[in-house]
Amino acid sequence: MKSIKILLGILFITITSTTQSQQIIKAEIMATGLTCSMCSNAINKQFKSMAEVESVNIDLNKNLFIVTLKKDNRLTPNDLKAKVEKAGFFVGSFVAYLNVDNMAVVDNKQVDDFVFIDTKPQTVNGIVKVKVLNKGYVTTKEYKKLQKTYVKYSSYSKDNNKAFHIKLV
Amino acid sequence: MKIKILFIILFFTTNINAQELFVITEPASNMPSNSIGVRTMNSFMYENNGTLNYHLMPELMWGISQKWMMHLQSFHSNRVGGGLKTEGGSVYAKYRFYSVDDIHSHFRMAAYGRYSINNADIHQDEVETMGHNTGFETGLIATKLQNKVAISASTSYERALDNLPNYKFPTTQSHHAINYTISIGKLVYPKIYNSLNQTNINVMCEFLGQTLNPNGRSYLDVVPSIQFIIRSQARIDFAYRKQLYNSMLRTAPNGFMIKFEYTFFNVFKK
Repeated sequence: MKSIKILLGILFITITSTTQSQQIIKAEIMATGLTCSMCSNAINKQFKSMAEVESVNIDLNKNLFIVTLKKDNRLTPNDLKAKVEKAGFFVGSFVAYLNVDNMAVVDNKQVDDFVFIDTKPQTVNGIVKVKVLNKGYVTTKEYKKLQKTYVKYSSYSKDNNKAFHIKLV
Repeated sequence: MKIKILFIILFFTTNINAQELFVITEPASNMPSNSIGVRTMNSFMYENNGTLNYHLMPELMWGISQKWMMHLQSFHSNRVGGGLKTEGGSVYAKYRFYSVDDIHSHFRMAAYGRYSINNADIHQDEVETMGHNTGFETGLIATKLQNKVAISASTSYERALDNLPNYKFPTTQSHHAINYTISIGKLVYPKIYNSLNQTNINVMCEFLGQTLNPNGRSYLDVVPSIQFIIRSQARIDFAYRKQLYNSMLRTAPNGFMIKFEYTFFNVFKK
């Protein structure tokens, strides 16, 4: 009985660690609609209110927020985007650093929350840098262009919070 | 390590761009959700009889969501002599219904409404629910921010009712008006940011006009101001209100204003 419990425990840890294999460890988020340091601080305060956030560094001239997340967090890009919007602004660019474990990347195939697009087939391991291209994660102008560029990806042209369309950068 | 890339600082501030934190008018942008702001407006106005009156208008602001915010305000003055007297209060709500943001720019629109009560005697033609008349005001605001310059315009309908306890609105006066404002603000310092502790300086100019609907009388004021944002947490404005044109009875159109504001972040979780 005890060994079954241990076995179940190991199995649980394995499953848990598998689901966390694309964990976001850091995000570089550019906010739009602001030019002053007070506004930057408003967004900073929103990020700092999250238990999963380790630190926030700001480039005030570029409105760029480098958000480092704690280990074993389960945040999605949507959680961070929501905080920018709560401060009263929007996301203009979202680059995430994912921690992956020998992941086979196939163009236009969804793996958990992510769909790689505009990407050659390859296996990636360790920390990979990706740009989120969904609506609301790029500027409105850029999204209009990308909609034309990525017309072949049927899931792309939707307001999609279940599948984050990402590209290796 | 680039010097530009900076610290984590826990100070409180407001979310809207400082260039559009105008002294008199509200921009179409809102406060951040879950935050509380406190503000006091101190006006020193010259009465036509030569005396200088003090008006104190403290205000409590609440960012309900990214689209809604609400203000509660009270009005006090020493206009009738015998020290500072409480004359009334108001409740204000604003809804941001349109927003197009881009890198270093935005265009936003909002609708707002205010209801005020006041127990002062009605002593002028001007309809002013901010501290003079019981009544309401409802209007639209459009604000454009482009790099370091913000420009905002608003129009509203304002209607005076009888003041408390039984100061009837004079039947000989026009009790409703259209207001229009244009506000321009520019960030003049710093040119390049290197810290959230830097003092920001904005210069602003606002034009405030009113036309009384029934009799067509109107006024136009200009309000130049300078604003200091200290350590990205406190705001101090110095302004002077000057009447440019007037065809109605106004008892104290000109004067100085000093305004303080402070915002407490994430007061309400989630």
